Amino acid sequence: MNSKIEKELDELVAHKIVTPQVRQDIKQYYATKETDRPNRLFAIFGVLGSVLTGLGIILILAHNWDDFSRTTRTIWAFVPLAVGQLLAAFTLFKNKSAAWKETTGVFLFFAIGTSISLVSQIYNIPGAVDSYLLSWLVLAAPIIYLLKSHATTLLYVVLLVSYGCAVGYGDNESPYWALVALLAIVPHYLKLIKELPAGNLTGIYHWILPLSVLVLLGAFLNSGFSIGLLTHVCLFGLFYNLGKLPYFNAQKLRRNGYLIIGSLGTVVSLLIASFSYVWEEFLPEKISTNDTVITISLAMAAVAVLGYLFRKHKLLPFNLFQFSFLIFGGLCFFGFSQPEIASVLTNILILALGLFAVLIGSRKEKFSILNYGLLVITALVTCRFFDTEIPFVVRGLLFVAIGAGFFAANYFMYKKQLKTKAHE
Amino acid sequence: MNKLFISIGFAVMVLAQWFVPGKMILDQERVLAEGTSYKFRTRPIDPSDPLRGKYITLSYEMNKAKWIGEAPVNWKDNVYVYLKKDKNGFAQATQASNKPLKTDQEYVVAQGYGVYNDSINFQLSFTRFYMEESKAYPAELAVQQAASDSLLDNCYGLVFIKNGSAVLENVFVNDTPIKEYVEEGQQKNANL
Repeated sequence: MNSKIEKELDELVAHKIVTPQVRQDIKQYYATKETDRPNRLFAIFGVLGSVLTGLGIILILAHNWDDFSRTTRTIWAFVPLAVGQLLAAFTLFKNKSAAWKETTGVFLFFAIGTSISLVSQIYNIPGAVDSYLLSWLVLAAPIIYLLKSHATTLLYVVLLVSYGCAVGYGDNESPYWALVALLAIVPHYLKLIKELPAGNLTGIYHWILPLSVLVLLGAFLNSGFSIGLLTHVCLFGLFYNLGKLPYFNAQKLRRNGYLIIGSLGTVVSLLIASFSYVWEEFLPEKISTNDTVITISLAMAAVAVLGYLFRKHKLLPFNLFQFSFLIFGGLCFFGFSQPEIASVLTNILILALGLFAVLIGSRKEKFSILNYGLLVITALVTCRFFDTEIPFVVRGLLFVAIGAGFFAANYFMYKKQLKTKAHE
Repeated sequence: MNKLFISIGFAVMVLAQWFVPGKMILDQERVLAEGTSYKFRTRPIDPSDPLRGKYITLSYEMNKAKWIGEAPVNWKDNVYVYLKKDKNGFAQATQASNKPLKTDQEYVVAQGYGVYNDSINFQLSFTRFYMEESKAYPAELAVQQAASDSLLDNCYGLVFIKNGSAVLENVFVNDTPIKEYVEEGQQKNANL
C-alpha cells in the first residue's frame, strides 16, 4: 500500500475523522487489491521477454548459417514453432494464468514468423516482404482467439498495418487483405468491450484500432488531394461520431481515442484545406472510382452513426464537430468550381469549430476543451500568416487579441468554477 | 468456449502453422528433384531484408523475348516466358505470351514491363539468393573485381524449373558456388 495513503490515514485517525476500524478496513481493501499486481507484473515482463526472445531468434536465424546443410536448417526452422506450440498447448489445456497466455502467445507469434522466414531464406523463395507478412498474419490470427492474448493482438495489429503500408505505399496496390485481417479482430474487440468496458486495456484498443484504420486508409487512396482530404474528413467524422456513442461518451476522455482522433484529425485536415492553393489541386478528372467509393462509404457510415445518435436523442446540444464532415463535403463540391470561395468558407468553418470547442469547454467547465478551442483558432491564424499578405501590425494585433482571449476565457472559467463550488 | 471447440481450434491452428511452411518446402523440393536445371547468366548486388537476412539480388541478362501474346501488357503483369537450353546448359528465352501456350517447352512466370517492336521486356522472379551475412557484400565485390580484371568467365544462377515453378538452387561464379568463391577470396586476402 502507498505509504502516502498510510500517513494520511494515520493523520485522519489522529484527528478522529475516521475510526481505527475504518483505517483497518481501508488497509485491508488495498491489500487485497495488491495481490493482483505481481501477476500483472509477471505478464508484462513475460511479454517483454517473449518479444525480445522472438526478435532475437529471428535475427539469429537471419544470419543464414550456410555451413549447415539444407536439411539441418529446415529442421531448425521448425524448432521455435514446435516449442511455441507446446508451450501454447500446455498453457491452454492446463488452463494457466493470463500471464502465461500472454507470454506463450507472443512467443508463438514470433515463432511463426521465424519458421516462414527461414524456409523462404533456405529455398530462396522470391517475393517481397508483403507476401511474407500476409502468411504470418493468417497463421497468427487464431492465437488471438485461442489464447486470448492481448499482447499478441496488438502485435498482430502492428503487423497488419505494416503489411498494409508495404502493399499500399510500397507497391501502390490496395491492401484488401489488411482490411480482412483487421475485421478478424473485431469480434475479439467487441467481446473485450462487453467484458471489460472501462478497462485500461480496452482503452488501448480504442486508440490502436482507429489509428491503424487511419494509417491503412492512406494505403487505399490514389487520387492525391483531389479527394483524399474529403475522404479523411469523412473518416474523422465517423470516428468523432463513434466517440459520441453512449458507451464511448461515458468513458474518460483519455480512453476515447475515437473522439480525440476524430476531433484532431478534422481540425488538421481542415487546416490543410484552409490554404487556397490546396483547392487548386481539387481536380475532378483525377478522382478515381476506388477513392470515390471509399469516400461515399465512409460518409454513409458516419451519417448512419449520426442517425443512430439522433434516434437515441443524443444529438443535443448541437455539436458542430459531428457535422463538419457533411459541411466540408458540400464545400468540396463547391470548391471544384469556386476554389477561392471554398477556401474562405473552410476558414470560417475552422473558426466556428474553435469557437464551438470554447463553448463546449465553458459549458462542461473543462479547461482542456476550452483551451483546445483557443488553440484551434490560434492554429488557424498562424496558418493564415503563411499565405496572406497581412501587414505586421495587424498580425501582431491579432496575436495579442488571441492571447488576451486565452487569459480572459480561462479567467472567466475559473471564476465560474469558484461560483459553482460556492453554491455547492 | 467449449473445451472441445478449443481443442479442435488449437489442432487446426497447429496444423496450419506446420502446413504452410511445410507446403513451401515440399513445393521447392519437388521442383529441385523433378525439375529441369537451367543456367541463367546474372550479376549480383547486395541488399538486405530486415527479417530474412542478407541476400544478393540477381540481375539476369535474360530480360527480353519474342512476344506472341496479346498487347497491351500492363506494368508488372504476369507473362509466360518459354525457355530452351543452349549447348552449355544456359537458358534462352524463345517466346513469351500472357497466356500459357500448348507446348511441351518449359516456362517461367515473369513480370512484364512492356512490349516494343514485337519483343517484351520482363524481369524474372527468382532474383533473391540468401547468403550468410558476412558473404553477401563480398560476393558482389568479388564478382565486380573478377569482371574488371577480365577473370570472369561466367556468373550464373542454377535454377530448377517444373511446370512454371522455379527454384534458384545456387549461384556460380566461374563454375564455383558463390559461397566457396567468396571464401576462397577471403582466404587469399587473409594469406596476403
